[in-house]
Amino acid sequence: MRADVVLKLIHDGKEWIVSNDSYKIRGESFEVLDTNLMDALRDSGEFQQGEKLTVFMGYDFDTFPTWLRQYHNHYFNRLVDIEL
Amino acid sequence: MTAVNRKWYDGMLSTEDWWAVWLGLILFGAGLMSIAGVDLVGWMAKTKTWELTSFLNDPSWGKLLATTHGKAGKAYEGMHPLVSLLVTFAVFAGLTCIGAYFQKLNVKKFFLGFAAIFFITWACWIVGHEAHFKALKTSQSVLQSEIYGENVYCTTKVNKCTKQINKALKGLGVDVKAGQVPDAETAAMAIDKSKNAIRMSWGFQLGGGFSYMLALFVGLLIGNLFKGFAAFLKEAAKPEWFIKTAIVYLGVKLGKMWIDSSLKIQAGASDTGLNLILDMALAGAAATFVAYLTFWPIVYALSRKVFKLKRDASAVLSSGISICGVSAAIATAGAIRAKPILPIAVSMLIVIFAMIELVALPAFYTAVAPDQPIVNGAAMGMTVKTDGADAAAGAMLEEMMIANHFSNTGELWTEDYILSAAILTKIWIDVFIGVWAFVLAMIWVYKVERTPGQAAVGASEIWFRFPKFVLGYFIAWFTYIAIATMAPEAMGAAKSGASVVQGGMRKMMFMLTFVAIGVVTDFSKLKGMGKLAVLYAIALFVVIAPIAYVVAYIFHNGMVPPITAS
Repeated sequence: MRADVVLKLIHDGKEWIVSNDSYKIRGESFEVLDTNLMDALRDSGEFQQGEKLTVFMGYDFDTFPTWLRQYHNHYFNRLVDIEL
Repeated sequence: MTAVNRKWYDGMLSTEDWWAVWLGLILFGAGLMSIAGVDLVGWMAKTKTWELTSFLNDPSWGKLLATTHGKAGKAYEGMHPLVSLLVTFAVFAGLTCIGAYFQKLNVKKFFLGFAAIFFITWACWIVGHEAHFKALKTSQSVLQSEIYGENVYCTTKVNKCTKQINKALKGLGVDVKAGQVPDAETAAMAIDKSKNAIRMSWGFQLGGGFSYMLALFVGLLIGNLFKGFAAFLKEAAKPEWFIKTAIVYLGVKLGKMWIDSSLKIQAGASDTGLNLILDMALAGAAATFVAYLTFWPIVYALSRKVFKLKRDASAVLSSGISICGVSAAIATAGAIRAKPILPIAVSMLIVIFAMIELVALPAFYTAVAPDQPIVNGAAMGMTVKTDGADAAAGAMLEEMMIANHFSNTGELWTEDYILSAAILTKIWIDVFIGVWAFVLAMIWVYKVERTPGQAAVGASEIWFRFPKFVLGYFIAWFTYIAIATMAPEAMGAAKSGASVVQGGMRKMMFMLTFVAIGVVTDFSKLKGMGKLAVLYAIALFVVIAPIAYVVAYIFHNGMVPPITAS
């Protein structure tokens, strides 16, 4: 599977945050995050109305303590299908 | 467009889990070369049991260390013991530094830290082999003290000493095997003639357990009182890597036990060892499955109903404490998309409580159930939640139980069955984590937090979460079974190389684990954990440990290691 948008995912203690060079979007839950992301993508002008996108959110394991990073493959990345 | 899907081979060069497989299989392969008459592992150093007064009277490295070459490794016979130790360091430092490079660790820091941990480990190992701490009494001294005296200790395996003394007695005209009994004077002469029997006024008879305790104590001292030094060692203090490598070598050990049993059967003798290994493996799987299904719902209910934790926190904690510790906590957090703080906090609790279990449980089980060696080992595997602490606790339990049983009865249980029981149950638990994470992910994605657009959970998750070091363990084990089955004529030669890998190398990896696990354990991290720490302690000692013991008892009751000497 290939993604149209690739984002880095972190949690700052309060909110989930996804970002790349073009976007930085927040949300307290994934539902809110996905809605905000959809709005941002729609507003960006990069994509057309009704376009179907696959978004990859790779968790940034640099936010884990060093001694836990060996277990990173046990945590998660998200793959979300969005229709603008 | 960017490719994002994970390949089945991702992480093969970059994760600690895979590097345990590589480090394990490289030396397993080197050991196998003994079949071709080439000893590639005979340079491995090993510790010898030594006595302080004798050493001070005539100090030499040869009294403390030796090489471990088998029949194919005569070339190593003349190697100075110190050179053997340096070669051992060079090989393991070289291989682990290559692993560190691919794991993107700071190789310079890793090398310096590994060098320090390596030599601290060997210092502990050598000190732990001082006869007053380590040596067991000879069987003759335990069973016939009125003839041989109560103060005869053995500086090698007890059955070897028994044979040496009996041989010396035969030379003096007393055939013990024919039922003759020596007088005290002849017995004393035979003891003097025996290479490994010595007289000492006192001895703790701790076996190899003292080395483990000392290594753990030194590690904990560094980790909690010398934090600057601990930070220096941190890059190389990798207890999980070391122990997973040791577990691959344990696969070699199980293979060697299989070959030993096959050779005995081939020679016409009856042997129960082979059946016991199979029984332990099957009972371990069944016990783990039962315990597994019992632990999780009880701890989850306790978290939700009594401690009023949220659903995600309860699930992460229940998996961490019920299944296989850190990897289960993180896998569950990943499966249910929990915030990262939850698995991090639970992982810290797991590591610290595993250390408490490692210190407390071996002595407790030995005192409470001295006649249930395999039950105790299996219960340990289901109770201690990190691979490192479980294998370490299993090794310590084995040393304590064998020494205790020998002191009480004069019967010497064969080594490695108790440890194998502890590891087999833990390995089954580790294997289940992939399936469990997959099931949880399905429940969360499709039931608890159903979100339109969320991609489906792939069955490949089971493979990504599968503990890869287990592959190394089974490859090593089954290779020797294959040799015993398909090329029985090669069994003797195969055993020679296997002895070094499963003996000296495996024990060194255990010792490195003891030091490293102490270095990375900082008890001050418990501060601020509050309710979570209390819940963890209650769940562990009131729910997990008792249920694990009952389940281990049901499935392993009556299993006892074969007796090597009495």
